[in-house]
Amino acid sequence: MSFKAIQHSLIWAALAISIGALLFNTGALLSVHSDNALIEQLVAGHDVDVSKVISGKPELRLARALYLKQKHRYDEALSTLSLIMEQGDQAFRAKVRYNLGNLYLEQAMNHVETMKMNEALPLVDLAKQAYRQALALNSQDWDSKYNLEVAMRLLPEMDRINSGNEDDPKKQATQLWTTVPGFPRGLP
Amino acid sequence: MIHKKVGANLFAQNTLNMRINSHLQILSLFMLMLLAGCSGSVTEPVSYFAVETPRPFGYVIGDEIAQRIVIETRPGITLQTASLPARGQINRWLNLTQINVEQQGEQTVINLRYQIFYAPLEVKMLSLPGFTLQFAQGDNVLSKDVPDWSFTVAPLRELAVRKNEQHEYMRPDVRPPLLSDSAALMGLWSSCSVSVLLGTYLAYLYGYFPQSRRRVFKQALKQLAKLSEGDMAQALTIAHKAFNKLNRQPLFQHQLTDFYRQHSEYQRINKSLEWFFDYSYHYFFSGKQAVTPQHLEKIRELLEQCRKIERGAL
Repeated sequence: MSFKAIQHSLIWAALAISIGALLFNTGALLSVHSDNALIEQLVAGHDVDVSKVISGKPELRLARALYLKQKHRYDEALSTLSLIMEQGDQAFRAKVRYNLGNLYLEQAMNHVETMKMNEALPLVDLAKQAYRQALALNSQDWDSKYNLEVAMRLLPEMDRINSGNEDDPKKQATQLWTTVPGFPRGLP
Repeated sequence: MIHKKVGANLFAQNTLNMRINSHLQILSLFMLMLLAGCSGSVTEPVSYFAVETPRPFGYVIGDEIAQRIVIETRPGITLQTASLPARGQINRWLNLTQINVEQQGEQTVINLRYQIFYAPLEVKMLSLPGFTLQFAQGDNVLSKDVPDWSFTVAPLRELAVRKNEQHEYMRPDVRPPLLSDSAALMGLWSSCSVSVLLGTYLAYLYGYFPQSRRRVFKQALKQLAKLSEGDMAQALTIAHKAFNKLNRQPLFQHQLTDFYRQHSEYQRINKSLEWFFDYSYHYFFSGKQAVTPQHLEKIRELLEQCRKIERGAL
């Protein structure tokens, strides 16, 4: 086989590969657009085929968790979010934790409104933990800061021993602290 | 006379002033030397120590505070990294999220990054706890204190937890980010352009462009396909015309060497070409050349080989 013949075959092979890549990328683009349509649908409050969510990207699960939360299906939302806690990049993981914090905090608020404090307290604690994790991943997220402060107001953290200067860090380092529920119901 | 006396007094006073000045200069120089000796940049084990901190106000919950400690020591003195605070939770509201030590020439730079989780009810002063850095020189251990650093932290919301205008206590959920299609689009465009380029090049090689010189033998083969062994004269003419067109002038057997110089790839089918020109000569000029279907087939094969060369496949 001459050099020219090999060159000619290589051109055909390159064309075949590039057409393959073209088809693959077209498929990928269609898949992205179809996933985005599903995300939009879930955010708008319409359920989608679960099998598409299961086989899809973590963003789809985040969208479904949002949908489930909107429908007050908190346990399902929680299990959906827990599946994607370690997926995606740092910014995405921060978003998952923020929404998880919101999921706990909303439930806690519901319990507070019906005066079920014992149910509310652990949920506020979990919400605080989730917001802290979100802020550790993205310290610029104002919504996480705001909601963490809401949770902190609901369940302020105080030192067990009041040494006169309760925020003296040196003393706190070796001491335990506790949380005290406080539910301010509006200014006097 | 009076003028002379006044002049002499002034002179004496100037001289006295000059002496006092020179004494003062010597004294100040001596004091400077003493001070330089006290600061002891040469003899002090830690010649430079600075804690660089950002603005001490305007922080809110979740903010990060960077602290930079720059130390310059005498050679042979090493920082004991065990004396640095440990990464993680320092107290109820403070986390040390990042710590790294860089050696920049003679300087040691410690970068610390704290994150605060304090929810104040009003603007409140807090402080980053100080610590003691230790340096080792042989068996000796030297210490240097990093002092507490105070800053103020402010609340983000009013004191009472109550619903806002949207009747919510808190900020809403974050919308899931839409998937980015830029990678797929980029891949699509690049593979599309490569395919178009390769396709165009192959179309050019296969003579699909009307003015292309690569369709000479393609057209000749098309014309030849319609002929039978009885049209040998026409078949030979078609082939000759094709070679002439490729050569841009009539091509004769004795010019083949020149032809190969310009179209070297045709040298591979030299035997067939020689046969063709021989056959054609005998057919047209001797009049004794027998015509068989194999001869027509041979001409077709020759043109097919030329076609392969023409599209770069041989």
